[in-house]
Amino acid sequence: MVYDGILLSLLIGFFRGGNLKGIAEMKLRGGWLFPILLVIEIFIFILQNKIEIVAKLSNGMFLVIYATGLVFLWLNRHQPGFTVIFAGVLLNFIVMLLNGGRMPVSVEAAQFLGREYIEALKAGVYGKHEAITSATWLPFLGDIIPLSPPYPRQQVISIGDVVMNVGAFIFVQHLMVDATKEEETKAVPANQ
Amino acid sequence: MNRDYVFGRIYIWSIILIGTVAFCFYFKIPIASLEEWVLIYLLAGSVLLSNYFLVYLPPEGNSISMDSSIYLACLFLYGPYITMIVLSLFTIIYAVYNRKTQLWKHLFNFSMYCLMLLGAYYSFVASGGKIGLVNIQNIFPYLLALFVYFCLNISFLSLHFIISSRSTFKGVLNVGLLKEVAITYCITLLLSLVLAILLDSEKYFGLFLFTILITLLSFVFGKFIQLYRLVSERANCDYLTGLYNHGFFKETLKEKFSDAKLLQQPLSLALLDLDDFKKYNDCNGHLQGDKLLKFFGDLLQKGAEGKGYVVARYGGEEFAVLMPNTKQEEAFLFMNRLRKEINDTYFAGVEYIPYRCISFSCGIAEMEKGMQDCGELIHKADQAMYYAKAQGKNNVQIFDEHNISLSALEFKEDLDALEQQVKIFLSKDVYTYRHSKRVFTYALEMSDRLDLTDHEKQTLILGALIHDIGKLEVPRDILNKKGKLEPHEWEIIKKHVIWGKEILATEKRFEDVLPLVELHHERYDGKGYPYGLKGEDIPKLARMLCVIDSFDAMTTERPYQRTKTFEEAIIELRRCSGTQFDPFYAEKFIELIETKYLPRIKEQMSG
Repeated sequence: MVYDGILLSLLIGFFRGGNLKGIAEMKLRGGWLFPILLVIEIFIFILQNKIEIVAKLSNGMFLVIYATGLVFLWLNRHQPGFTVIFAGVLLNFIVMLLNGGRMPVSVEAAQFLGREYIEALKAGVYGKHEAITSATWLPFLGDIIPLSPPYPRQQVISIGDVVMNVGAFIFVQHLMVDATKEEETKAVPANQ
Repeated sequence: MNRDYVFGRIYIWSIILIGTVAFCFYFKIPIASLEEWVLIYLLAGSVLLSNYFLVYLPPEGNSISMDSSIYLACLFLYGPYITMIVLSLFTIIYAVYNRKTQLWKHLFNFSMYCLMLLGAYYSFVASGGKIGLVNIQNIFPYLLALFVYFCLNISFLSLHFIISSRSTFKGVLNVGLLKEVAITYCITLLLSLVLAILLDSEKYFGLFLFTILITLLSFVFGKFIQLYRLVSERANCDYLTGLYNHGFFKETLKEKFSDAKLLQQPLSLALLDLDDFKKYNDCNGHLQGDKLLKFFGDLLQKGAEGKGYVVARYGGEEFAVLMPNTKQEEAFLFMNRLRKEINDTYFAGVEYIPYRCISFSCGIAEMEKGMQDCGELIHKADQAMYYAKAQGKNNVQIFDEHNISLSALEFKEDLDALEQQVKIFLSKDVYTYRHSKRVFTYALEMSDRLDLTDHEKQTLILGALIHDIGKLEVPRDILNKKGKLEPHEWEIIKKHVIWGKEILATEKRFEDVLPLVELHHERYDGKGYPYGLKGEDIPKLARMLCVIDSFDAMTTERPYQRTKTFEEAIIELRRCSGTQFDPFYAEKFIELIETKYLPRIKEQMSG
């Protein structure tokens, strides 16, 4: 879903006459955090079903990853769209924190994803997700929004994901369109 | 504190209170099922988008948000509860996004929408509408709901306006405006039915289609508005200077004039004319002249920045500054400061014009209670400007009835013609030039204090300006001689009155001025020149001019005389009254000096 949003913003960015120069030149504080978080996350995904300790700690670690991500976003809050991304991640973080480090998923909304998925979900071993039950806190912040045709992919997402994508969209648009324009306006007086 | 303000506040907070209570009355926990939550998210997102992508409509300033369509569609399909949740979610997000807007405005908006939606809901249900499906067999409840929604909105807003600005409220609900608003509302409300049908049959995808449509419409209309702005700017602005043009200025003046009248605020108008622009053009070429106009326009614009003044190019080298909420004294200070600033600003080519700097003559008029038409204001400012021109240019004048003659235009032409002749002195003898100007000013002021016909007044003024024209024939070294004059040199000087008459006699229209030029050195006791006329034999205007001329000669530095102060000169006038001067006119003139000039000099001394 995150990648879909970024892809869409790139397309619209090109459509609005932007280019990738701004993205190549973007400067973020603590940018090195990002790949490390990604590697750790993938590491947990792969190992949590094989090594017991990782499985036990995985929930806590997800939260740590999220918290680190939030710090990273907060450091860069002056960038356009980052406060929105921050809000989205925070919404996800809150609901995961309240539900023991896992993202609650609406079983009804996830119906079309297939029986194996639902069973894995109910067994609590599917990635960082778990099924919504009556004991779930703030279920409306969980993965309850089904994406279905004509949307090209089938998925269930949370409102936090949507907000995050809006933020990413704003940021990419800024990098592709505004940043280039700013450079042009700066360049004009120099030419005269 | 303002009473209207207090009432406005009371109104706003009571609406907020009622709206919030109504909302709390409907609120329940759990808020909604998960499926409803998905719907709420999407609807709120859609409302946010439609508030961000407003659909702009010409004429400018009109824009509609499609959020009402979404709320109403939601109301018809899912009932008031979900709709109000969507509304509150939107309000929270929007308030965070628009942090700069005061909170009470968000709250007022929220409450107003709550009440409007509830009104629409109850009228819908009462007239037999059923929530949850779109029933096109019974369209009446929908129309009623839309109508109630519309009426509530209009009344909330206009009540707010009436209460908070009651003293100035003079019928905002005019029919034309109402018609325009009604059409906009029809669009919004019909779209709500369209969205309801879409939502009913395709749910999320229907909403998605609708939102995309609004966004694209907003883009397209946005482009149109941009185009409209560009075109209207071109139509309203002068191409060369970028200031507003004549037509737009007149329109704005009319508007501001009636506004100022309604609100009883002062309104001042300044008309200014670049001095000697024709000469500048002739010396530097029209291209350079255009550059000067543009440069001057920019200066003017910059000077008026941030004051809410409207600056326009009124004609060729004429400019106008409209100053709402400004008294004429303020306007005078502003224009005079601007004039000095512009005098100090160098522009290539100004060496060729008399003042050797950019300068303008400016007339200022303020709106008066009796004025019915803005044309009067223009006319007065115009007259004041001509007066400023006549005062030797490069100055600012406030309109004053006493200073402006009746057939101002014709008189001005005569004045211009004589002025051209006097100007020759600029190179030959600057003392005489200045002297002529000052005598002219005295004569202007004096003419109002005497019992003269308009024509006599104008003759006196013209004569005062031109009286020394004969000195053109006197050689420079005599005019500028520092020591005492030889007898034969005196004879030459004395001849200037005859020569002046001859010069002026070439033009028939100045016939009446001739005696003033010829006889202004005659003395009351008959010892003057050229003819030695005595007493009443000398025309009264010439007797008057003699007083003024002598007074100015005494009080200003000239090559062959010591300067007297005004007080000394008055004593001298009194001493010679009855011998050199006509006692009546001498006393009249002393009166003018004592009332008008001495206080000013004293002020300057003490200040």
